[in-house]
Formats: sequence, structure tokens, C-alpha cells
Amino acid sequence: MTAPIRLYMAMSLDGFIAGPDDRDGQALGRDGGRLFNWLDDRMSDGTNGQVYREAMATGAVISGRRTFELAGRWQGDHHDGVPIFVLTHRVDDGDVPPGSARFVTDVEDCAERARAAAGDRPVLVHGAGAAQALLRAGLLDEMEIQLVQVLLGGGRRLFDSLGPEHIELELVRRLQGRDVTHLRYRTAS
Amino acid sequence: MSRLVLYMSMSVDGFIAGPGDSADNPFGTNGQRLHKWLGDGGDDVGGYRPGDAPSRTVFDEMMSTGAVITGRRTGDFVDYWGGDHHHGVPIFVPTHHAPSGPHVGDVRFVTDGIESCVGQAKAAAKDRDVMLHGARTAQECLRAGVLDVLEIQLVPVLLGQGRLLFDGLGPDHIELEPIRTLESPSALHLRYEVRYA
Repeated sequence: MTAPIRLYMAMSLDGFIAGPDDRDGQALGRDGGRLFNWLDDRMSDGTNGQVYREAMATGAVISGRRTFELAGRWQGDHHDGVPIFVLTHRVDDGDVPPGSARFVTDVEDCAERARAAAGDRPVLVHGAGAAQALLRAGLLDEMEIQLVQVLLGGGRRLFDSLGPEHIELELVRRLQGRDVTHLRYRTAS
Repeated sequence: MSRLVLYMSMSVDGFIAGPGDSADNPFGTNGQRLHKWLGDGGDDVGGYRPGDAPSRTVFDEMMSTGAVITGRRTGDFVDYWGGDHHHGVPIFVPTHHAPSGPHVGDVRFVTDGIESCVGQAKAAAKDRDVMLHGARTAQECLRAGVLDVLEIQLVPVLLGQGRLLFDGLGPDHIELEPIRTLESPSALHLRYEVRYA
């Protein structure tokens, strides 16, 4: 079995991954930082540390363009210099992303290249846009959702405009961490 | 002490009904998928009792509530369950305008605000909990600070579109305290207490 392409996103119970008005200088939106309290434990031996270490052990990254830009392009290195494939509609002439990042305009090409680059390690997906594009193309294997015990009330949704086809999921792992429930779903093939 | 408990089945992408929900099709397109954790139904409400133990626990708790609050929209869609959701407990409906004429069964329209509605339902339920059903009314109760517990049946599916449970709550975030999680193959039962600031 090949290693999965796996989404990692923190989401409030009401479905938000960032607060309202996320933009440059306020990348998580108003109050969006609330979704990442669990990362305070990222170096711990507990559940939150475990999930963080798993994310950091992935062999390639797929990111949406918006997420990539809001994150300051990660200065070209998301973790350990693994290749970053940035899914985008448009590449400006002369815009060469830094470090191990590169732009890809086709979702299938993006998934294929990321999988090849990761080898026997999973691919980490980050960003709502990339997640939705991969889901619609049937290329997202797993979702590791950090379900945060808060109603954010507004902001940017993880799942939005996926379209009329419903997608069956299977809950394959559930871990309770501090402030967050880690839910791993496999998408039906 | 009686608590107000929201019972709703929700997809992982946050929907409680498919698109195009109406009185003729109360669950919307594909919305029935969200209720597969229940039994197949039958002549009485007992037919909906689920087959697996965790889901049964939640269902039995729901059926032991002493009153029901439902939104006007949800209630109209299902004709107020013929006036009897379960065991003849009273059904309270917060609304701006009560319909004229009597309704079959014990359905009470409350026009003087959500707090009053919750107060009347809790009084009727005595020491039992009150079941709340309906997205808009849930949002109204959250904004008014009168919803005590969320019992969400998180169904392993992405519905893709439809009616959201949580929409337009407003800018203030609301903290939740997980008090129980029950896992069954058909749904993850998440129970939270609401911690208002």
C-alpha cells in the first residue's frame, strides 16, 4: 500500500479553520489563534505531540496558494526541507518560489509529483483550497482533523462548495488531546 | 436540574440537511444519509432505536427527555411529529406568530421570547432534560446563552452542500467542554457542555 495523501487541519466544531478577516499580517484571522492552542504541547510526549511529530515526519507538502502566501511561503522550508507543491491557478513570469517550494497548476500532476517525492512517507496537505481541490478530484486519501472544542462563530470554512457529490468517510483513529480531538478519516475509494 | 440539550446529526462538513429541504423533502437531497445511525423506523418511535450500543445510549437519553423545543421551520416540515415526538411530552415552539386554531397533540407556540420558551419547557420537563432540535433555534439559544449541552452525532460523510448547523453565530466565540465521546461505526457521538464567557 502506498503512503497516503493526508490533510492536516485544525477546525472548530462549527467548521472554521481561521477567524474572520484572515489576511497578510493576520494570517489566522480574528481569534483564529484559538484553534492552535493545542500546538503549545507540540514538544510533549502526549497525544498532541504525537500528532505534531507525525505531521512533521511526512515526506512532501501540498499547499494551497492562499495558505502558502499567508504563511510567508514558509521561507521555502515547511519542515526538514521536504518538497512543497503549491497548487495554484496562475504563475506569474519570473515568480520563483523559495527553497524547496514549486508551483503546480494541475491537481493530478500535483498529487502525483508529491507522492513520488514523499516515497514511502505520507504527503501532508495544508489549506482549505488544496483540500477541496484534491477531494473533488478524488485524490485525498485521509484527513487528520484537529477538532477544537470551540464555536468560532465566523471565519473561513474548511469545507465549502465541495459540490453535490457526497463522499463517504471512515473514522480510522480517534485520539483525545488537550483542547482537541484528533480525528483521522479515510475517504472511500 | 433540567438542562437544554441540542440533538442534531451533522456531517463532517457541518450539514444537517441536504440542499433543497422542504416540507415534501425535509432532509433535502441525500440528507437521509445523516440519519442512518438510527433504526429503520416503524409504527412508533421505538422503531428508530439504533442497533449498536453507543448509539442506543444516546437515543435512549433523547427519548427520556421531558419536553421538546423545536424551531418553527423544522416543526412545520415534519408537522410537529403529529403532535407527539416521543411519549406525549409537550412540544414547545418559539415563534413570532402562533398559528390560529388548535394543533393536534401537545404543541405549544411561545411568542414572548426564547428565554421564556426555554423556561416553560424546563418547567414542564421538571427534573428531566429538554431536547432541542433545529439549527436556527439552536443558534438563537446559543446567542441567548440558554443552551446547556450539545449532543452531536458526527456522521462520517462529506455531504458537500446543504443546510449548516452553525451559521451566522456572530463574532464571539463560545468555548465548549467535552464531557463524553461515544464511538460507533455509524456516528461519533460528541457531547459538550457550553461554557459561556
